[in-house]
Amino acid sequence: MHYIKGVGMTRFGVHVKTTQELCYDAIMEALDDADMPLSEIDEIIIAKGDSANDGERQRLFQGVMSSILQDENIPIIRVTAACSGGGAALWNIINSQAKNSLVVGVDKLTSAPTKYVTDNLMMASERIYEQAEGLSFPVQNALIAQQYMIMSGATIKDFALVALKNHENAFDNPKARFYKKKITLEMIKKSPVVASPLRLFDCSISVDGAAAAIISKDKTDIEIAGSSLYVDRLPAFESEDMTSWQGTILAVKSAYNQAGITPKDVDFVELHDAFTPVELMAYEDLGFAKKGGGKKLIRNGITKINGTLPVNASGGLKAKGHPVSATGVSQIYEIVKQMRGQAEKRQLDKTRVGLVHNVGGVGSTVTVHILRHIGG
Amino acid sequence: MIIRWVSEDGKRKWIYPIKRDIYTKGKIVKQVSKKAKVIGITKVNIPSPMHPIIPYYVLLLEDEHSNRIPKKTMREYKIGEDYEISLATTDGAVIITKIKYDVYEYLKESIELLHNYGISPEDKILIKPSIIEPAYQYQSVTTNPELLDALITYLKEKGIKDIVVAEQAMLGNDTMASAKKAGILDVCKKHEISFIDLAKSEYIEKTYDNFNFRIAREILERKVINLPVMKTNSQIVISGAMENMLRIVDEETQKKMFKNDIEKTLPKLIKVVPEFLSIGDATIGLQAQGPTLLGEPAFLNMLFLSKDPVALDAVFTEASMLKKPHYLKIADVLGVGNCDTEKIEVIGDELEAIKCPLKAAENNASAHTNMKLIDGKANPYIFNIALKMTAKLVGLLGEEVNLVIGSFITKEMLQKKSRLVAYGKDAIEQMEKLGVKAIAEIPEEMGDIEKVILLKSILQNPNKENITVADNLKSKIIGLGMKVRKKF
Repeated sequence: MHYIKGVGMTRFGVHVKTTQELCYDAIMEALDDADMPLSEIDEIIIAKGDSANDGERQRLFQGVMSSILQDENIPIIRVTAACSGGGAALWNIINSQAKNSLVVGVDKLTSAPTKYVTDNLMMASERIYEQAEGLSFPVQNALIAQQYMIMSGATIKDFALVALKNHENAFDNPKARFYKKKITLEMIKKSPVVASPLRLFDCSISVDGAAAAIISKDKTDIEIAGSSLYVDRLPAFESEDMTSWQGTILAVKSAYNQAGITPKDVDFVELHDAFTPVELMAYEDLGFAKKGGGKKLIRNGITKINGTLPVNASGGLKAKGHPVSATGVSQIYEIVKQMRGQAEKRQLDKTRVGLVHNVGGVGSTVTVHILRHIGG
Repeated sequence: MIIRWVSEDGKRKWIYPIKRDIYTKGKIVKQVSKKAKVIGITKVNIPSPMHPIIPYYVLLLEDEHSNRIPKKTMREYKIGEDYEISLATTDGAVIITKIKYDVYEYLKESIELLHNYGISPEDKILIKPSIIEPAYQYQSVTTNPELLDALITYLKEKGIKDIVVAEQAMLGNDTMASAKKAGILDVCKKHEISFIDLAKSEYIEKTYDNFNFRIAREILERKVINLPVMKTNSQIVISGAMENMLRIVDEETQKKMFKNDIEKTLPKLIKVVPEFLSIGDATIGLQAQGPTLLGEPAFLNMLFLSKDPVALDAVFTEASMLKKPHYLKIADVLGVGNCDTEKIEVIGDELEAIKCPLKAAENNASAHTNMKLIDGKANPYIFNIALKMTAKLVGLLGEEVNLVIGSFITKEMLQKKSRLVAYGKDAIEQMEKLGVKAIAEIPEEMGDIEKVILLKSILQNPNKENITVADNLKSKIIGLGMKVRKKF
């Protein structure tokens, strides 16, 4: 069994610091939180995308990290899995033999002009079938959103409600990009269409940031009760049912089995809302709603911070921000903060079982982690 | 067209052209459908480097087997509408096809979209690829052997038995060595068909507008399928369907065509040859310093087909967002073809939807950063050797040298340029005519090693104002020494 000792993260936003400096800050906070020195870490797994976005040209990033951490005894491994990099790095740790591991996720997306960031993110899609046909990340998700609307009867109003909820949550998260920034339903509905039916406020925000967590075999107050990773085909159009992500369904089933729980036992969730319709789909794929029923959860306020199943209390990718490889680890950060009663204004009441859902591409690589607060 | 590779038992489908089922080790059956329905559509308002023009639409298409693909278009469709590519209705139509992994199927579909293109088993076919210099297929300087293989396979399936492949390399290069390195000879061997070196052909004279062309006999006696690689070209913007036909004439004619302005003589050449089909190979395509190995692969995954080489080149130029070459306009005026893309029927992928800028070729770049070309439309031999000389000196530091080549040199082109070196008879004569002094004159006849040694001494000696008899003698002696050493 693995446990969480400490967590740390930078604020998600625009940073002038280099990625290694962002990592350093997040790691420092995690070590402080765990009250342990770096020398007790047996391995480091870093999730980081290619450096085409950040302009740093540091492909051998583990070496850069070794330079800044100055401990050549710690093996450092880099994992790339696009937006699911953080979750994939954590899954690797769960499957390793090390006693104390450090998982770090980092990416910088604000250094390059938007069109190049769009292009770089597009590289997570299939080159011949998708990239050549103009399927940037929002375009892929727009086609899926449309199929989902046809299947479920969900509307753009439902998408707007997801955006509003996550922005309301981010308002109280000092680490979020949209901290203390008031976003209204009117602003969401009037935002420009990026790829129909998706508006600007249906899309997560590209930011810079890093997050870190120390995972240990020594018992702490939080155990990782379930950990799974599934890789599905890259193009979403290949799936028999585009409105469900098989990777999520399989990953969560495995994680529930490992934890010995059912969806009803989950108290709160940090899920991968790269685009607002994807959050509704995830409600269904994770077992919180029946097929096509995701819209009811948002319409009835069930997933709001004061609802019976709070989702993305951090603000999610939508409003906390989405620094790609850092996202999965930042989701762990939020769960831990909630479980330890350190979430301040966004503190939830019931935080015994938390679920983390991290996705790369359009359902291609999915990780699910279930954390259980065991006290102590 | 939607293609899937399906396992024999029908249980699994692949979007990639795999040969055997990895689970059952059984065979794979190709599932090809040409009709699909629109089941989704999105209007896109954000540009990206590959897709700079907005708004555009992406359709989600589904065929009768429930196979799906996304498709970019500039037209707004409705869900439920049929999506089918219509056949060309004009002889000058240009077919644009994005290849999805299967060159053969997309080539076949593209040929069958052409208007009035009949081939019969009695036809004697000559395939004219582009093999200008020894280069590997991935460098995209020469025709993709996979495309040639696909074309021969298709022609054979149509019952055609008499097929030859014919080409001559760029002047100064060896044709057979180029064809071998490019993988073209392997394809010929596989299909047991002959490769003809057009440099060794018998030539027939054809005249247009008082200009005599000596054209390889085979070109005039066979049905030609032109297979150019679609590239940028530092001399004439692009190398495409028209430029690839340059090498059907003998060396003397090629030189004469450049001496008389290639942009004017190339359209005349096309005018005197019988109609041919061009299949523009953009399976990779070349950008930046084309048409030689100085260029960069463009990874286009496309084919451009037309019976009108002018239209094909015009469409490719516009798709690549390059300036329209002057020779296309001249060809249009001569009635060789149509260069007005507004009037060209485009079938398959939409021209507007595939527009993406290629890196244009600079007309003064050489292989060496300190050596610039001042190119007055030099003939292929001079151009080729000039680039090769500069390539030999890569890595040596030196002072800027301007290598003047070709006969279309003007005073303006030489203004504010120092350290001029005239290479070749045309440039030497033209500079004399203009009264501009070069620090050195390199005649064509000089040995290759001597030329390089001479250029090297100029490059590395910034104070050199002219070349002395001693310099020439020195380069000769070193050149001779190197030849002797090479021999033993």
